[in-house]
Amino acid sequence: MSNNLRKEAVIIPILTSAWRLIKGNPAIWAIFGLVIIFSSVVPERFLSTGNLVAILKNFAVTSMLAVGPTFVILLGSIDVSYMGIWMFGGALVWLLYPYLGLASIFIYPIFGLLIGLFNGVVHVKARIPSFILTLAMTAVLAFLTTYVRNVSGVLTLTVPAYNFLRESPIPYVPSPFLLALPTIAIAIFLMFFTKLGTYLCAIGSNEEGAKLAGINVEKYKILAFMFSGFLVGLGSIAIFVHLGNQTRVDFDPSELVRGLAAIVLGGTPLAGGMGGPHRTLLGALVYVLIFNGLFLLPGVDPNHLKLYIGALLLGAVVIASRALKGALIA
Amino acid sequence: MAIQNLLLEAKNISKTFDNVVRALDAVTIEVRKNEILSIVGENGAGKSTLMKILVGVYQPDSGELYYGGRRIPFPKNPIEALRRGITIVYQERGVIPHLKVYQFLFLGLEEKFTRLGRLQLEKIIGITKSVFDELGVRCDLGSYMYELPLSIQKMVEIARAILSIRLAIGGESSDITPIIILDEPTAPLSIEERDELFQYILSLKKNNSFIFVSHIIPEVMRSSDRIYVLRDGKLVAHHDLSIEKISEDQLFREIVGRVSYYELYAGHEYGIAEAKGKPIILSVRNLTKKGYYQDITFDVREGECIGLFGPAGCGKSEVAKTLYGELLADGGKIIVDNREVSIKGEPHSRLSRGIGYFSGETGKELFLYWPIKKNVSIVNFEKVVRRPLKIVSVISFKAEKILAEKIVKKLRIKAPSVEAECYSLSGGSKQKVSVGKWLERSPKILILEDPTIGIDVGAREDIYEVLLEMKKNGISLVLVSDDPKEYAILCDKVVLMRDGKLQKVYTNEDFRKVMEL
Repeated sequence: MSNNLRKEAVIIPILTSAWRLIKGNPAIWAIFGLVIIFSSVVPERFLSTGNLVAILKNFAVTSMLAVGPTFVILLGSIDVSYMGIWMFGGALVWLLYPYLGLASIFIYPIFGLLIGLFNGVVHVKARIPSFILTLAMTAVLAFLTTYVRNVSGVLTLTVPAYNFLRESPIPYVPSPFLLALPTIAIAIFLMFFTKLGTYLCAIGSNEEGAKLAGINVEKYKILAFMFSGFLVGLGSIAIFVHLGNQTRVDFDPSELVRGLAAIVLGGTPLAGGMGGPHRTLLGALVYVLIFNGLFLLPGVDPNHLKLYIGALLLGAVVIASRALKGALIA
Repeated sequence: MAIQNLLLEAKNISKTFDNVVRALDAVTIEVRKNEILSIVGENGAGKSTLMKILVGVYQPDSGELYYGGRRIPFPKNPIEALRRGITIVYQERGVIPHLKVYQFLFLGLEEKFTRLGRLQLEKIIGITKSVFDELGVRCDLGSYMYELPLSIQKMVEIARAILSIRLAIGGESSDITPIIILDEPTAPLSIEERDELFQYILSLKKNNSFIFVSHIIPEVMRSSDRIYVLRDGKLVAHHDLSIEKISEDQLFREIVGRVSYYELYAGHEYGIAEAKGKPIILSVRNLTKKGYYQDITFDVREGECIGLFGPAGCGKSEVAKTLYGELLADGGKIIVDNREVSIKGEPHSRLSRGIGYFSGETGKELFLYWPIKKNVSIVNFEKVVRRPLKIVSVISFKAEKILAEKIVKKLRIKAPSVEAECYSLSGGSKQKVSVGKWLERSPKILILEDPTIGIDVGAREDIYEVLLEMKKNGISLVLVSDDPKEYAILCDKVVLMRDGKLQKVYTNEDFRKVMEL
């Protein structure tokens, strides 16, 4: 009897908090829905081991681009410098490898942090709109990456010495996914276990109120950009390894959209104030599932895939922002 | 005689929100031709609800409307009101800074000045010029709105209101006197700018009627022909200044009324004696901000409460905002604990020196969509973090919850749990959450701006209790409010301000004598 009671006392809170989790994160519904649809329409191809491993890899790449910038979007600003950090950071690793050896991979997070610091200080002190600023940053860094490649006369900026990173110690779990875990852990920790997450939400939802509560708004804005850059840099290691220990050398706008799409699909509105990296992880999974599933569907021309994804995203963003508005009013 | 002058009459207007809140209770007012009519009352007295009914934003539950002696239906929307010659100039949010003056003047009115989709700019500028000449607005038509001084911006807004009525009525404009409602028009203006605006309004009186909504008594007394006083949704007084004379004090007492909670504290002991020997915590020396206040000097001892008292617009809330760093002073000194604080500091640097701020304005410093516990811990992170590795502070959810629960219990906040989001709480409970977070933080000095505005008697008592306890714990308070009884309950000393200058310092006893409390 008492045993039963104890069981109930444990189970009911778990159920209620699970329900709250699902209710608060519409992306969970989308994930369930997508998995059910694709595994019933194309079960052999969707549920094959190879495909599931591919999903994990793509999830790692997408989330690594998006988790960091989520902190800036919480503020109601935006940071699209992640493409630049990813591309030129890799070029730096390649350039410095002859001098630093294996340690040169740590250039990535340091470089990201510095770019974030620069973005934050310029955005806050010179009051430059964050979108233009970080987009220009990406443009400059992407150009520099291509320039490094052209000047050095090689085809790709590959560092074969990191090949050992590509082998995963756990079967079926790809190494980019494992390499992504520290970034995810740090992001979640910052969001929920330090005051940073709370302060960024406060600034995003009511900047005046945050100021009145005695928050140093400028400092925390700069910190958000720094952590954004740092996390993108750290996460880029996973992408670097995923691409075969090399960086991207040509700029592709759809990669830029990928990061923002994961953030918005996850349920962090671009206006800021709510959401966080946990939602971005879900959003990244949604994005990857859509992309992967459509690719497997018979009759879908892979050449048109980007168009479908674009249209789908547009719709999803509209619906997501409406649904969130409703949640706010209720 | 009165009948001939009568323009608009609103009889027995009642309005209830959500079946509970009685915003207006059988209020009757009349508007005469070519007059300035003032409607005064505290926040929440029903002034804006009444005005919104007149311009068609709200529909009343009951009541009748007469225009020139004929009964007419209540306007269903602002455009219908406009056709009857009634419009409103809202307190803020009216001006669009990046439009040119003539663009702003015709914003939304362009329809009649468009041919084949092309704006007839010459015509628009021509009309702007003639309207401004007629109404006496002097400014460069080609400049942007944000380049104009605030008083001129307000004048352009008033001109826009008159113009839109004329365009809505069309040709028959001659026999209709426009009624322009001005909602707290002087709120953002400095003292000189206010005079300028009033001169302007007086000059327009010969062709228009104005309803002036305000709680700034001296302004109302200076400019109005008649005054209605609203309190708690009821009309409590009507004064025709052409036949009777009333004093500012009388009007003040009519606005504020008498509420029972004062009696509860009438016998309580005031902490004057206790504070006397204590060290001085806050010294303000010759604090000046041009156009708002000058040469403000006072001291606050440990555990003492100082009230800055005076009619709205006297500069008291600007002084409070300056102390907290929301507004920057031009000159003077602020000294906390014998160390000078930079007068250019922001709120966070003031907080690090021990100055906190609490405003009763809901939503100003409360995060409505956050649970109670987050709203509490936002200024109390030092109390809810653990440092397992010395350098990283990790939030303990348990400590956060316990802290919030302590405050909820202590302040008798009615909430299902500390997870409840703040928007779901009653007004009083919201305020209690706001003040409760400071109770835990215990700053050296707490600046209070209207701490109990718009909440019921019971919640007020709870908040007073907390504030009195803070005093006992050695926290110094600086109070700014509209309610003299609040000063009587909380303050040891009351500093009287007028027109931005310090007039006199009362002890609590003297203050109560002067206010007849």
